[in-house]
Amino acid sequence: MNPQLILLIAFGGAFLTYIFGKISSKLRDGAAVAISLALVAIFACLYGRRLQESFYWGFLGLNLSFRLDAVSWFFAIAIVSLGALSIIFSLRYMRDRERTDFYYSMMLMVNAAMLGIVLSSDLISFYIFWEMMSWCTFLLISYNQHRALDAGMKYIIMSIIGSVAMLAGILSLYVSFDTLLIPQIASSLATASPGYVLFVLVIFGIAFGIKNAIMPLHTWLPDSYAEAPSPFTAVLSGMLTRMGVYGFLLITYVVGGMIGGTGLGSNVLKFNYVLAWLGALTIVVPTFIAMLQNDAKQLLAWHGIGQGGYMVLGIGFGVATANSLALAGGIFHTLNYAICIVLLFMSVAAVQYRTGGVRDLNSLGGLVARMPVAFVGALLGISGLIGLPLTNGFVSKWMMYKALILEGHPFLAFAALIGTWGTILSVYKFLHNMYLGQLPEKYKHLEKSPFSMQLPIAVLSSAVVLFGILPGIPLRVINKICTWLGFSSLDVTIWGFTSETGTLNTMNLLAAIVVVSAVVWVLFHRAAKSVVVAQDDNYAAGAYVPKDKYHYTAGFYEPLFTMLRPYLRDVVDEFYTALAGSVRKSCGAVRRIYTGDVGSYVTYIILFLASLILVQLRWRPW
Amino acid sequence: MVGRILQFVLYPLVALAIGVFFLGLARKITARIQWRYGPPLVQPVIDMIRFFYQKSVSHGPVFAVGLIMSLAGSIVVVLFLPFGSICPLSGSGGLLVVLYVMLLAPMGIALSGGQGANPNISIGISRKLILALGYEVPFLLVLLTVMTHYNTISIVQVVEAQRDIGWSIASLPLFLSGVSYLLILPAMLGFRPFDVSTAPQEISSGPLVEYGGKYLLMATIEHALLLFIDIALFVNLFLGGAGNPITFFVKMLIVFVLVLFIHAAFPRLRIEQAIRYLWKWPTALALAGLIIVTIGRS
Repeated sequence: MNPQLILLIAFGGAFLTYIFGKISSKLRDGAAVAISLALVAIFACLYGRRLQESFYWGFLGLNLSFRLDAVSWFFAIAIVSLGALSIIFSLRYMRDRERTDFYYSMMLMVNAAMLGIVLSSDLISFYIFWEMMSWCTFLLISYNQHRALDAGMKYIIMSIIGSVAMLAGILSLYVSFDTLLIPQIASSLATASPGYVLFVLVIFGIAFGIKNAIMPLHTWLPDSYAEAPSPFTAVLSGMLTRMGVYGFLLITYVVGGMIGGTGLGSNVLKFNYVLAWLGALTIVVPTFIAMLQNDAKQLLAWHGIGQGGYMVLGIGFGVATANSLALAGGIFHTLNYAICIVLLFMSVAAVQYRTGGVRDLNSLGGLVARMPVAFVGALLGISGLIGLPLTNGFVSKWMMYKALILEGHPFLAFAALIGTWGTILSVYKFLHNMYLGQLPEKYKHLEKSPFSMQLPIAVLSSAVVLFGILPGIPLRVINKICTWLGFSSLDVTIWGFTSETGTLNTMNLLAAIVVVSAVVWVLFHRAAKSVVVAQDDNYAAGAYVPKDKYHYTAGFYEPLFTMLRPYLRDVVDEFYTALAGSVRKSCGAVRRIYTGDVGSYVTYIILFLASLILVQLRWRPW
Repeated sequence: MVGRILQFVLYPLVALAIGVFFLGLARKITARIQWRYGPPLVQPVIDMIRFFYQKSVSHGPVFAVGLIMSLAGSIVVVLFLPFGSICPLSGSGGLLVVLYVMLLAPMGIALSGGQGANPNISIGISRKLILALGYEVPFLLVLLTVMTHYNTISIVQVVEAQRDIGWSIASLPLFLSGVSYLLILPAMLGFRPFDVSTAPQEISSGPLVEYGGKYLLMATIEHALLLFIDIALFVNLFLGGAGNPITFFVKMLIVFVLVLFIHAAFPRLRIEQAIRYLWKWPTALALAGLIIVTIGRS
């Protein structure tokens, strides 16, 4: 199985799905699921294989070339698995909507483009697939039209700025080294001047920073996440945005792959320190802004930015200090976050599906009784985001914290830790306002979510716990990525780390928590029985209470907001909006000259000639 | 092996005993300061036995599961903390794990209370989480200072280091952190002037309002363990731990009585006043400590 065959299946599948959709919708659904599952199977079989393939197509005289190694396998398996789960989830979510053929083929196309990005081994194919991904994403974000069109426009403008930066970088590299093959560039850059290396880092940093939504390049993200169809939001937040992380790994390889974490030029180190601090900023501010949100998807979207900060912090810091623990933590967090956020968006989508698109946190509540599976998914998802012990997020965060503290950067560690508290507050609000508390009268008879929605939620929930208890499974692959980047290998066991400066043993933790919970449960069970009563029964002590919402959910953190609100403005977004406003104004002024009326153009010409004649008569310059 | 198993079983029980003793002591000392007689020291024990046999009302499975999770989390944290020379789970991740397992307790209560759907509960939880954000800022700074200063994430190693060079609180940068910890301790324990989240007269004890019988029993045990955890952590990090449990207990007792004096004398703050206080003096001290330690290191 060579890489271009895989890509052929992926892209061909996308087109076939569209054609099948014209025949029958059942056939189309079946084909979409089959193709996405086939890709999962293919990549599962390719575990641990290395492939390298040049594809002589002579594009502008350049060879396209593909490769499969540890890093591309790691990202590819995540892309295809999460993609397949989202397609399965879409089956019911998208039923009875318009333009579903288009939707499915675009979903598959986005997945195929992402596969192309991680499989390509030269920058020209990388760029082609990158653009393909951006445009498909734009189409899918604007799928719902109305407000979604604005969100899509915002996305594509930011995205184009990134692409242009990347294209400039690629051209410059081609002019300098006369090749676009990534390994060759890497070896050429090792001898390039430090200033040029910094230029490459910054120009690609802008491109990948926009995709990964690092502050201050994050403004496209909240609206896009909120307005895109929910199953696609899952893909968008889970893997697509994280192509930026892949990009950062790639430039790390390009500028230092041959020499590794030690002996990097000082400019590279400085760049990565700046990146780490930007990551820290990206953790703190968005997680606190997330607390202000009342829209479930907006709230999660701000966490999409915030958690991206952890990845950038881990990777930037790991490179800057040649610390494989932080680097591996950053990469591992990419996977963990992807699993958790896809789970959370699916949980929101399940609620949206049953309530007719409601995602306003203030009007929901008490849904745990009606949709237990979606609740469990949301609970494990937020636990992973917070990083509660025995979930996957805990291990990756532990790795980063330990590296930051032992390398002597407590302030970065503080940013990461306080970000966790911001996360707790906002995701608790999310869970509480949606699933706990009082069940509104109109949702008393809601049905539970259909099987095709429960299945992906169940799979992802078990992944959260599995990788939390046995982090060694993914860490083994991540370890290979670290050695590929030239970093030292970690001492990974199946349940954690052994080292002199502090070990992690998830097995002990699991045993302790399970045994203690069992003991507590027995105690609980032996005590006198309890009876389940209706909520208002107890609250009003039997007296009549009006059938109304009296639960305190709206303005959940009001006292804190009144203190923080002045500080929690999205200054960057306001700046961009102001910029766009002034550009629009000046364009409006220019438009006033171009009236479109032939008469006025003639007037301009006559006036211009008259002034020339006047000048000639008066001063005789010609 | 038998000794280790005994440690696992007996240590949480000892911690519970100390915590419950503190609960009784709190009521007694507060009463004496306020010129009342106060209930007997064993009153919490009597209450807990009564709770065990009392019928109660429930609001569904999450109502119970959250509470079990919360209590289990607290017991696991206890296993991570050195008590004299006893520390059953010393080599499983250190202070960073403690920090995160400590989250299970408030999260569990919040989950369970959320299912309760009583307005007083949600007001209480909202206040509790805001207050937690308030004291976590200085608390995290303090812990980072200690970890950076000793360059380890293991509590056992922090205790051992103090055996050679004396108590942390007696050395300059960590003195600031130690004072900061003492200043936020009442907030962490939920004592006055920071008892906004369980204010009995305002919101009927907040998160506890729907609990009765065994639910209240578990919430009480959880609170008792919380007293033990937060004070034991202080003793371990700043007062040099102890070679034997008796000395350790005496140190804990002294710290707790200090907190009680504040508890008995001060009125309750409003939530935003509390945050403003927590983000001012304790944070400033903790930040100063961290800056000094970081500069000293590099």
